[in-house]
Amino acid sequence: MDFYFGLAQIIGVHTLLGLSAYIVLLTGQVSMAQAGFFAVGAYAAGMLTVLAGWAILPALAASSLLGAAVACAVGFPALRVKGLMLVIATLAFGEAVRLFFFNFDYQVARGGVKLGPLGGEGFRQIRYFPENGWTTMQVMLFIWIFVVLVMAILWWLDRSRYGAVLRAVGEDELAAQSVGINLTAVKVSAMTIGGAIAGLGGGIYAHYTTHIEHASFGILLATFALAYPILGGLGSVFGTVVAAIFVQGFLVEGLRFLGDWRNLLFGALIVLAMNLRPKGFLDAPTLRWIRRVFGGKRGAA
Amino acid sequence: MLDFIQSLSDGVLFGATYALIGIGFTLVFGVMHKLNLSYAAASVGGAYCGLLVLKVFAGAPPLAVFFCAFLAGGLLGYIVYLACFHFIPISNPLATLMATVGMLLLVDEVIVHQTDGMPLNYPALFDDVMLRAGEFTLRGDLLMVFVVSILCMAGLLALLYRTRLGLATRAVSQQAVAAQLCGIRVGQVNAMTFVITGLLGGIAGAMIGASVGTLSPLLTTPLTIKGLIVTVIGGLGSIPGAIVAGLLVGGFESVLQQYRGVTERDLYVMLLLFVFLVFRPGGLFAPKEGRD
Repeated sequence: MDFYFGLAQIIGVHTLLGLSAYIVLLTGQVSMAQAGFFAVGAYAAGMLTVLAGWAILPALAASSLLGAAVACAVGFPALRVKGLMLVIATLAFGEAVRLFFFNFDYQVARGGVKLGPLGGEGFRQIRYFPENGWTTMQVMLFIWIFVVLVMAILWWLDRSRYGAVLRAVGEDELAAQSVGINLTAVKVSAMTIGGAIAGLGGGIYAHYTTHIEHASFGILLATFALAYPILGGLGSVFGTVVAAIFVQGFLVEGLRFLGDWRNLLFGALIVLAMNLRPKGFLDAPTLRWIRRVFGGKRGAA
Repeated sequence: MLDFIQSLSDGVLFGATYALIGIGFTLVFGVMHKLNLSYAAASVGGAYCGLLVLKVFAGAPPLAVFFCAFLAGGLLGYIVYLACFHFIPISNPLATLMATVGMLLLVDEVIVHQTDGMPLNYPALFDDVMLRAGEFTLRGDLLMVFVVSILCMAGLLALLYRTRLGLATRAVSQQAVAAQLCGIRVGQVNAMTFVITGLLGGIAGAMIGASVGTLSPLLTTPLTIKGLIVTVIGGLGSIPGAIVAGLLVGGFESVLQQYRGVTERDLYVMLLLFVFLVFRPGGLFAPKEGRD
């Protein structure tokens, strides 16, 4: 059973990562920096619980705030450039963060053991959960409480005026600007929210793996972050969850019996999925169909 | 001072390969207004295919390897076009972008799968030649890389500005709809662009293999990022920009490697990118604002 709880933990954290890219994608911006914010959150939360002795909740709050702050700081220069330039800028930023942690040493001796991040070797011994006697199931529930919370907030945001503004900017920047929407404010705020979610996800990730290193936050993770909302479709937050379950549950775990070939299939299946369903799994017609089936008359509109 | 000039010249010579990769990104962007993130991986893949010659004819000359890499790069470019661009509706840029990322992972994994992740030796020309001027030396293989890259760029510019295909390519990149109205087959031009950039990429990959001495799948990610940085610094869509920026980035990273070490080097290259984004977001040779 613990295996499935562990899998649910992974899916939960990856859903958070995907949601952080989702909100940025709503404004039509493609950010490859989410893995960078995720790394910032992971290292910050880990250092706070291990080195400063904080409890998990304040540490997660701090990592989330830090992620937001970094995202906001990156957003301003990066969003001066549009569209595809942003992909490049954020890709470079994500790599820069990874390289920063590759060169980052901050170790403190604690009871004969040196703790803290050590460059290429990474940051070991983030043992808050085991030390406090949390079971795998408790950790899993803890993670999913955050996932559900974040999804609820995003779902509500989507239906608010702010969500309409985000989608308006995503659909057509020029039209949005001409009705008086401040493009910079909208994009930077979406980026900041995305950074907060990624920082939170990173903080949780650091604690359930207990060992983080720079290599885990590379371009592959940034790709995953983008892949979930794009594969799932931007119509609804649930698409991201479906895609995270599909990728982590089926592509990564379910195909493990294929051994070496699994990694080969992974890339090929992304290519195939984008050719067959360019608007994502849950695209507008599918969503309408789901609403008709489950929502009765109300959803038919 | 001598160290500085030495590492600068080595870097600028090696930077020619960055310029080639940058041109590939920029050309596809110019014609299709889309980013092909799998380009650097496909280039390295082409270079790997070049090694197949050695498997079939043991002791084949390096030139045959380079030529095979060149052809394989073109073929891979066409495959990327079919897999990631041809069938996906043009109104859906996110899907194409994601598909090229999938392609990047796929090429990477095929290489790892075929070589067990071990770096392979790559043949080079003139690697025993050293030009000396006092303490200052020029490595023969780097010079060869530089000259081949420059020849490729000259060939590309001749193709773009002296042939009908080049005319059609430039027309599509200026205004795809208008070009179509003039009877240019846009789909064909797009496919040809991918083949041409693929050919360039194959050569670039082979040149990188030749100057480093080995090829490894670990090259693809840094190469993708360097190529993209070159594209931005040069100005998206500008070929002269990509050339200048490639040489600039090559020299810059080599000098910083000299003074700050290999692990920190790339951090400063990213910093250079952000300096450009803040102070000159259009790049060195920003194309004039279009009307559409």
